[in-house]
Amino acid sequence: MNARSRTAVAAVRGLSTHALIWIVGTVVIVPLLYGLLSGFKTTSELSGNPFGPPGEWVTENYTELLASGSFWRQIFNSTFIAVATALVTVAVSALAAYVFARFAFRGREVVFTLFTIGLMFPFAVAILPLFLMLRAFDLLDNPLGVILPQAAFGLPMTIIILRGFFRTIPGELEEAAIIDGCTAFGFFWRILLPMARPALATVSVLAIVTSWNNFFLPLLVFTEPDWWTIPVGVQQFKGQYAQDTARILAYVVLAMAPALAFYSVAERQLIGGLTAGATKG
Amino acid sequence: MALSALKKDPSGNAVAPPARGRRAPRGTAARRRSFRHGATVAAFLSPALLLFALLVLVPILYALYTSLFKWGGFGAPETFVGLDNFTALLQDEVFLGDLWRGFVLIALSVGIQLPFALSMAVLLNQRLRGRAFYRLLFFAPYVLSEVITGVLFTMIFSPDSGLADHVLDLVGLGDLGITWFASPATVLPTIFLVMTWKYFGFHMILYLAGLQSIPRDVLEAAAIDGAGAWQRFRHVTLPLLGPTIRISVFLSVIGAIQLFDLVWVITAGGPVHASETMAITMFQFGFKRYQVGYASAISVVMFLISFVFALLYQRYVLRRDLEGAVTSMRGRR
Amino acid sequence: MGTEPLSRRSFLTAAGLAATSVPLLGACGGDSDDSGGSSKVTIEWWNIATTEPGKTLWPTAARAYEAAHPNVQIKLTSLENDAYKSKMTAQTTSGKLPDIFHTWGGGVLEQQVQAGLVKDLTGGVAPWIGSLLPISVQPYQFGGKTYAVPYDIGMVGFWYNKAHFAKAGIESPPATWTEFLDAVRKLKTAAITPIALAGKEKWPGHYYWSYLAIRIGGVAALKQAAETKDFSGAPFVQAGQRLKELVDLAPFQNGFLGASYPTTDGQAAQMGNGKAGMELMGQWAPNVQKEMGKGLGDGLGFFPFPTVEGGQGAPAEVFGGGGGNALSKDAPAEALDFLKFFASVENDRKRVASKAFLPIAKGAETALTDPNLKTVSQKLNTATGFQLFLDQAFPPAVGQEVNDQVAALIAGKASPEQVAQAVTKTAKSQ
Repeated sequence: MNARSRTAVAAVRGLSTHALIWIVGTVVIVPLLYGLLSGFKTTSELSGNPFGPPGEWVTENYTELLASGSFWRQIFNSTFIAVATALVTVAVSALAAYVFARFAFRGREVVFTLFTIGLMFPFAVAILPLFLMLRAFDLLDNPLGVILPQAAFGLPMTIIILRGFFRTIPGELEEAAIIDGCTAFGFFWRILLPMARPALATVSVLAIVTSWNNFFLPLLVFTEPDWWTIPVGVQQFKGQYAQDTARILAYVVLAMAPALAFYSVAERQLIGGLTAGATKG
Repeated sequence: MALSALKKDPSGNAVAPPARGRRAPRGTAARRRSFRHGATVAAFLSPALLLFALLVLVPILYALYTSLFKWGGFGAPETFVGLDNFTALLQDEVFLGDLWRGFVLIALSVGIQLPFALSMAVLLNQRLRGRAFYRLLFFAPYVLSEVITGVLFTMIFSPDSGLADHVLDLVGLGDLGITWFASPATVLPTIFLVMTWKYFGFHMILYLAGLQSIPRDVLEAAAIDGAGAWQRFRHVTLPLLGPTIRISVFLSVIGAIQLFDLVWVITAGGPVHASETMAITMFQFGFKRYQVGYASAISVVMFLISFVFALLYQRYVLRRDLEGAVTSMRGRR
Repeated sequence: MGTEPLSRRSFLTAAGLAATSVPLLGACGGDSDDSGGSSKVTIEWWNIATTEPGKTLWPTAARAYEAAHPNVQIKLTSLENDAYKSKMTAQTTSGKLPDIFHTWGGGVLEQQVQAGLVKDLTGGVAPWIGSLLPISVQPYQFGGKTYAVPYDIGMVGFWYNKAHFAKAGIESPPATWTEFLDAVRKLKTAAITPIALAGKEKWPGHYYWSYLAIRIGGVAALKQAAETKDFSGAPFVQAGQRLKELVDLAPFQNGFLGASYPTTDGQAAQMGNGKAGMELMGQWAPNVQKEMGKGLGDGLGFFPFPTVEGGQGAPAEVFGGGGGNALSKDAPAEALDFLKFFASVENDRKRVASKAFLPIAKGAETALTDPNLKTVSQKLNTATGFQLFLDQAFPPAVGQEVNDQVAALIAGKASPEQVAQAVTKTAKSQ
């Protein structure tokens, strides 16, 4: 095979690769665009023209939602609960992971195994007993009633990840720190945590995404519409405006926007953390 | 995400064996230190233990307890029935169907979704224009909530008026009259389609991370030895990607066993149970039929299946990759 | 507020987060912020009025009551139907219900009563319950006691598109099952989808089986089956067989197994947009058709469920249900007073005038303008027997099993005998 035909083959292959990725990309993006465009139509136009651009761009669906207090309230609630969940999860997990990674004590592996068992127990399954516990603690209609269980269920994954990272930090460093008069907490706070920043970012982003998407727990815990989060709001809105498909889609698009915006900002933490982890291994 | 971190464990461990210089407590100074050491462990561990025990373990144990009762959820469980709920489960056609459907979803995920994610990862691992954009795009559905995804796709696959039907019409397949979520025959594949849309990017990202950790010189050496692209992939890339693939399969299986939100929003398990999963059956009994004892039995079985699977998988498949969890208790002390 | 004598838990349980429960504080003798006899009362009211016209009518009624009783504050929580059911299950399990809560009566309410969570209203409503139509209160009465006050009552029947029927050459609405099947065939021949059905939601399907059982065995047969927990008798198997005759004609719209009821592509919209010949639905049907589709206006007709040849059931027996409000056992006295207000003729007229509800108060029927609804109301009040929706009349497990099994029959996945056996098995296990 001469050089020219080889480049031709490579070009064809490159082209087909591009075509393939382009097709997959289209399939991924079309549902999102469909939602976005549909929000600019009226429901009656939508049934006749689900596809193309709106004949007349109707902005009311979006502007009315953006002008309503409840939508912003839900955004705020979702954000607040997600951030608080991430803080609690990461703080509590980091302390535990530090102990699991760097201390030897009786029963360490038993306790650690106990935590990993939590991975096998999905939220939906525990929801009824969990609800009874929250009721007993007076945590209904209280953001803590969502934050604490989410943090508790997030512990296993977070501890496993952080323990792995903490172990990669050389023991010499700890010895040096202790010789310098650092307490265990001092070492943890001033040296270990700053060094594990990429890992902390990854687990925080994970916790935020999980919390943001949670549906049944906030649904059961919050009766007050003032506390509803975005997924609960979407479900309620869907029932309330069942006759107005375009408006529901507008709501769905607006509800997606913060998650996508956050993702585009935190992409490096979410994906970069992974990549870094894998290459070092 | 966990995965890369999990994978790193062994090497991390090699660099820093835990508790170096903390053994051999001799003399009062050492004893005082070991006391302080114990206090530190207790102080650092207690918030996690408390949270976990109260909000995860207690509900698990409570579910286990109530699974032994015939209980409608009112007042305290009183009618003890032993294992009756479990024996009834084994004769419950819907539940047995759940197991079968779970198996189908796992097979589809492992057989189609993951290979698809892997091939996308391989493609995007090349030097390619817009690579960063595609990576961003393919992962994006993963961050959307299941409820939102469900609502969106309910409308896309709406019979007669949805986007999917118009696309079929456009490519001349409109006469097939596919009813997507509306027929027992097509509902599960359609749900799988949505699952793939939402989750393949996640697995792709895992594979990409794994691929990038494969040293270029190994592949180049293989190329010099005359290995073709497929051979290089088959004999170099794939084995080196082993740990990532094993973890991705693990997550995919656990996810399929516990599938709930997405199906709940789209079909609630219908039509005629054709898309029902264990978690949905559990929810139907617990929240619609007031048969909480029976529902608890389903949760316990789900937990056991996930647990046994995890145990076996870790024991036989993940052994080399994953250190620390369930199976490696021996030899760590 | 002198809550010291009470533990925090019991206080919250008794009074709700922000409420001051008069009787309780009185009992403890510690009412320190007594402001002249009538202290503030906050009443929680959980309802499912998330769509019009209830979305406006419910708060309007609450505000009107507050204006007349300045010490009372009514806090409405309106939840979408499915979310409401999930939340109520969790609430019931935890042993505390909101002061006023929506109920469909029947088996779920009875279980809540048996768990001791619901207030017995018998004595409280005695002075004025006579002003309500007797049939409207029936779903909420067990063992001679009353546990809720209705705001709506109605029955199921066929709503049909007059133009389609005319086009198919159906001269008068079918009165017997044979005529009915015939009409279905005619519609099919005329290339009209005969029946719209929301297969995803199951409950619309169970109407067929239940009404057939009533026509074949009479309301008495259902009563007996509920008592003996035996649904394997002839009326139930035959109901399945008759339904199967219908299903075999493939009368439902394309993709009906995945269709919802109240969405823009669901059962109501199919009717409202003139895409189907008829639907079997309750008194709310015309309103929802108009909400989800264009609505048929005068082109919509109503005929009662046909009789079955050789059946025991009288033609005047009806199958239906409505909605009501029950009180939690700790609800303040004002809550009952509000229910009386809400059920008054004046308020009922407003509901009836919205065309989405049927009268429950005697005298409110004058507000009925729609001829179809007038017919329904009339049939209802001359009924010789009443059967509440089976998925509400029976304990929840049995009701859901009926829905599930009938759905399977309609999808061709279960035989009439299997349906009867499965329902019996679930009933026996209760």
